[in-house]
Amino acid sequence: MANLDNKKLLACCANGAGSSLMMEKAIEKVLKKYGVKPAELRHCPVSEGKSAARGYDVLFCARTFEKNFEDAKKAGTVVIPLRNVMSAQEIEKALQEAGLL
Amino acid sequence: MASVLQKIVERGHYKFVDSVSSWQEAVKLSTESLVKTGYVDEDYYKQIVSCIEEYGPYVVFDHYVAMPHSQEDASGVHKTSVGFMRVKEDVDFGVDEDGERKVARLFFTLASCNPDEHTDNIASLMGIFTNEPLLDALMEAETPEDILAAEEKYPCEEDF
Repeated sequence: MANLDNKKLLACCANGAGSSLMMEKAIEKVLKKYGVKPAELRHCPVSEGKSAARGYDVLFCARTFEKNFEDAKKAGTVVIPLRNVMSAQEIEKALQEAGLL
Repeated sequence: MASVLQKIVERGHYKFVDSVSSWQEAVKLSTESLVKTGYVDEDYYKQIVSCIEEYGPYVVFDHYVAMPHSQEDASGVHKTSVGFMRVKEDVDFGVDEDGERKVARLFFTLASCNPDEHTDNIASLMGIFTNEPLLDALMEAETPEDILAAEEKYPCEEDF
């Protein structure tokens, strides 16, 4: 994956209401900075994301949820676990390290 | 439009306490103002507690901030709001999966049943959570007037 244009991105947290939405907003901020236009960016609970993640190119979650996405990893989804879910800086750095920005 | 902190004050969704006996009690107390005003049922806090027990203290962020919440379609939520609570002493949520101790003094407890207002609230809260001078001032707050004064002194960037 060279960059995130036209990629599908998903953010997951336990509830699908709080931190995943914060992640989505922080991700949006990073994408805007780089002028990237993904095909899709949404958030949902881990329970839903666990099976849905394989249909996405990149999955973001708080570190505590990383273990839920082993199957998605095997299916080729890039899983990005975050320490601070609202840190645009951390997201930017993680995407750079993954070669996605 | 009123900011989240202004809405918290207008609706009486705040509480100031010195110390608590456990993080579970803190979560319960943080919903008290929401219960009193009919925004959530008395039992709502139990869903939040079981979620933290299951997944760990991932709702505790940097700089003493906790954002207890349940699911998007949680039962027992009648109106969307944020309940603020300031505790003087550290509330210990234990250690996360990397052994990092999680403590909080500022609680922003979410009640959500209106996705649009909730999304606006989340965006505003991100502005607050990344505004350390404001968080420091809120930790010193004793009254609702102090909350408003803190926000006036340290306004959030309209960034998210």
